[in-house]
Amino acid sequence: MNDEKTVRLDRMRYTKNSMASGLALLSILFDVIFFISIYESNVGSWYYNILMGASILYNLIFLLAAFLCSEGIKNYKIGYAYVMIALGLGQLARIFIYPVKAHAATVTIQEQAVTVMETAQFTRCVAYLVLSAVCLFIGAYVGMTRSRQLKAHLEALGVAA
Amino acid sequence: MAQLNVQHVDKIYDNNVQAVFDFNLDVKDGELIVLVGPSGCGKSTTLRMIAGLEDISAGHLLLDGKDITQTPAKDRDMAMVFQNYALYGHMTIYENMAFSLTLRKENPNVIHKKVLAAAEILGLTSQLNKKPSQLSGGQRQRVAMGRSIVRNPKVFLFDEPLSNLDAKLRGATRREILLLHKRLQATMLYVTHDQTEALTLADRIVCMSMGHVQQVGTPLELYDDPANRFVASFIGLPPMNFFDATVREGFLEGCGFKVRLSEEEKGILLPYAGKEIELGVRPEDVQEGTETALNVFSNENLGMNTLVHGHIGDNNRISAKLRGWYDYKAGDNVNVAFARKHFFDKASGEAIRKGGKA
Repeated sequence: MNDEKTVRLDRMRYTKNSMASGLALLSILFDVIFFISIYESNVGSWYYNILMGASILYNLIFLLAAFLCSEGIKNYKIGYAYVMIALGLGQLARIFIYPVKAHAATVTIQEQAVTVMETAQFTRCVAYLVLSAVCLFIGAYVGMTRSRQLKAHLEALGVAA
Repeated sequence: MAQLNVQHVDKIYDNNVQAVFDFNLDVKDGELIVLVGPSGCGKSTTLRMIAGLEDISAGHLLLDGKDITQTPAKDRDMAMVFQNYALYGHMTIYENMAFSLTLRKENPNVIHKKVLAAAEILGLTSQLNKKPSQLSGGQRQRVAMGRSIVRNPKVFLFDEPLSNLDAKLRGATRREILLLHKRLQATMLYVTHDQTEALTLADRIVCMSMGHVQQVGTPLELYDDPANRFVASFIGLPPMNFFDATVREGFLEGCGFKVRLSEEEKGILLPYAGKEIELGVRPEDVQEGTETALNVFSNENLGMNTLVHGHIGDNNRISAKLRGWYDYKAGDNVNVAFARKHFFDKASGEAIRKGGKA
């Protein structure tokens, strides 16, 4: 066990996958910023109230799931990488639900027609969701790769994973 | 590995209390020095000054000839093992051992190799993924030692590392430290108040009292030829018996005893003829004989030996460690003799040795 690559692999036996875990936590951070940003919307109808409520509920589920993934992937559990990919796809899908619909819609508030989500707010919201999704995808990739490398290394050593 | 020279070191606190007086010590490369003494004698303070955790009020500290008196602790290339382990509870054993090297931004692969090597030496390889709370006291102390080993320091400093362990574990860990020293051949300074640890571990012992060095020597020298009454009473278990005695022609006379002197002893005590001195006799040097009678007041069977406590004369208390199993009752008289005697100047407490030096 003298070459650098083997030592690097062997290190994983005792160190956490902090990069993948950190990326999952970063995706939570971007999601929280998105979550705060949507409150600036001009919600003037029950339809957007419901959409925002649903977004808040999904957000709670996302926060919990992403945090669990962060903990799981930290310990090289490959299954959590697949959950992270699913969560990332979910973040991308959300773009087309609330921000896109709200950006295209107008509502009447105090007899004035206003856009539910202004362009600047829309751009920010989309950016946060994309960043959150990208973090999850990269984290999942790193987690998956390292988990497989560790598994192969342990098998080569004859140690149970 | 390193040579350490402590030259005329004093420690004076801000409130003018002096904890260490003129401490001098030359530690050879690869030597294991044990600083021993009762609580408050300045041994830990001395170690902390060497580590750089306390300022040195006066004197110099040299490591491999280089003056490090003013060098900050982190740059001294010394590693310290504390009594309370000082492990990070939220980190695994691996992370604890790697921590100091990570702070130094060493290559992670190099850190990994060093941690595995240290874990191998200490038998901790299977524990590396555990947290400190999952380990026993002895294992935690080994982790603390491992954390020092990975740094490959010039000097290892141990501050009462076994005090938190139970008696059985203490014995086992003590042997591990000894093996570790033999294996690493490192320069080590070890502080303890336990004279058994001092005698079993040390290449040389520094015996301290009230901030002063009382004697520096090998364990045998301190046991066999103590420099003064303090060292004689501190080293050895049970402690040495002391009796006031007057030097007469050819014998020593005290309250309840009269012991004959050998030709060599007569020579040593010649300058004290007619004067009062202190006679010291180790319990293991009290044997069955005809010199004096020991009036028993308690009897402790230790298996191979029997520890007999009593008095000779009116109020000279004495402990005797007799070989074998005896069942003396309180009030029994046992005839004993002193196989080996130590003599101390009554006024100064210094040992009276061959050549008339007190």
